[in-house]
Amino acid sequence: MSELILETVDLEYSYPDGTSALRKVNLQVQKGEKLAILGSNGAGKSTLFMHFNGIYRPDSGFIKYQGQDISYKKKALTELRKKVGIVFQDPDSQLFSASVWQDISFGPLNLGLSEEVVTQRVKQALLDTETTDIEDKPTHLLSYGQKKRVSIAGVLAMEPEIIIFDEPTAGMDPRHAQEFMQLLEKLSDEGKTIILSTHDVDLAYSWSNRLAIMYRGEIIAHGLPGELFSRTEIVKRADLTIPWLIETHSELVKKGWLPPSAPLPKSKEELFQNIPVKSGQQSA
Amino acid sequence: MIAVDSYAYNNNLKSVHPAEKSLFVMLTMGVCLASSTMITPLIVLAVMAGGIILKAGIPTRVLIKLMTVPLAFLLISMLTIVFSVSTNSSGFWLAQTYNGFTIGIRYPDLMTAANLFLRSLGAVSCLYFLALTTPLTELITVLHKLKVPFIITELMVLIYRFIFVFMETATAIRRAQYSRSGYISVNSSFRSMSRLFSALLGKVFVKSQDLYNSMAARCYTGEIKVLTKKRPVSFKNYFIIAVIEIPLILLNLLWR
Repeated sequence: MSELILETVDLEYSYPDGTSALRKVNLQVQKGEKLAILGSNGAGKSTLFMHFNGIYRPDSGFIKYQGQDISYKKKALTELRKKVGIVFQDPDSQLFSASVWQDISFGPLNLGLSEEVVTQRVKQALLDTETTDIEDKPTHLLSYGQKKRVSIAGVLAMEPEIIIFDEPTAGMDPRHAQEFMQLLEKLSDEGKTIILSTHDVDLAYSWSNRLAIMYRGEIIAHGLPGELFSRTEIVKRADLTIPWLIETHSELVKKGWLPPSAPLPKSKEELFQNIPVKSGQQSA
Repeated sequence: MIAVDSYAYNNNLKSVHPAEKSLFVMLTMGVCLASSTMITPLIVLAVMAGGIILKAGIPTRVLIKLMTVPLAFLLISMLTIVFSVSTNSSGFWLAQTYNGFTIGIRYPDLMTAANLFLRSLGAVSCLYFLALTTPLTELITVLHKLKVPFIITELMVLIYRFIFVFMETATAIRRAQYSRSGYISVNSSFRSMSRLFSALLGKVFVKSQDLYNSMAARCYTGEIKVLTKKRPVSFKNYFIIAVIEIPLILLNLLWR
């Protein structure tokens, strides 16, 4: 299980205007894991992602895919981008075609697949993102959430090993955000490695099995979600907040409703299950 | 323009093969422009209006409104053809002479103008038929099949998409300016407008870089390859095209 798939070693990057965007970033991504990268705006999450499939070249340091330093030769880059897919934050900068169908077919066609296979993949991606009903609509008549789902479909159709989502649920309504999380579950079950950036601490805590916290271009902490969020000083320093699940849990422990040994709940359901029935009360 | 675009995606002829529609329009337009009689353009106008309203299901008022757009240009050019000024007052059909100058209408000129007017209107109706029934993305695939160079079709894809992206951005900026009392006086209008343009120019560069990055992330290597949905090829449609075009061509040839 713990097979290293992607790794950055002392990654440094500055923008052409001299702003330092990444400082000594060391991050390991295990195959099949659900890694959430948390950080406030401008922490460097998107910039880091651009390095993962070779769009930005680091000023110093390396990126390793399956133990190999990534090469910036054209052919090797195509091979890397086939394995590492990025869903960008702004769907308007990702959708280049006015036709939903054409846009989704762009990626898989670049992989040199036959038309039949591409058609099959486009159909599957449309199904997975629930966009089949809008396949004939032009992209400029779609809502923000619909555009977002189409841009996800465009990457899913390439069937990458690692899928990176940059702020995926921003701008989605609750129903579609929930369905998107189910889609993530499904992709994880298929063995895909998923990296997601967000500043939604509740989402990051419940979904991920590992967390990294970024602050001003540095990874200031990484580890298990439960452990990381218990270290309030780090959470505060990164301009984040404690997930409500953990806060409620510790409050219940403090006031004696839960024993200190009670496990940290990962979901609302787990928390409710942990809360004991008050003596004398009829249990439902 | 936005209305035309959204009708292109929502009409009853949307699923007809774009090549069939293009062929129909190009042939009819050619016949219409080449005609020397006034009957052909009238028939073309009727066929296209019928096609747009009855077959494609576009509301009549939309078509009428669209047809009035070129009318202003047409009428101005008609005036210059119809009216002549001359020192010789002979040959005029309707004329008025002032101080030796005759301003008026010669009968052949009137006929030429009427013919030109109808032919232009007929040709415009052909183009509207295509624009109202066929999404641009599908027209581009037809051009692609006709071996139009990649660079042109790819630019068309990107320009078409980004017209809407920038229009949305410009609308948003304009709204934000209005809500902060932009455009309240002539001076402020100029200032607001110039700021809007400079803001938009900045965004053009950022967006184009973003687009390139996101395309590169999907293995873009310099050629935009996309899959187009297959539309059914209908022999019935080719038959209909032949039935309409052949009599029109004969009419053009025989009526002289």
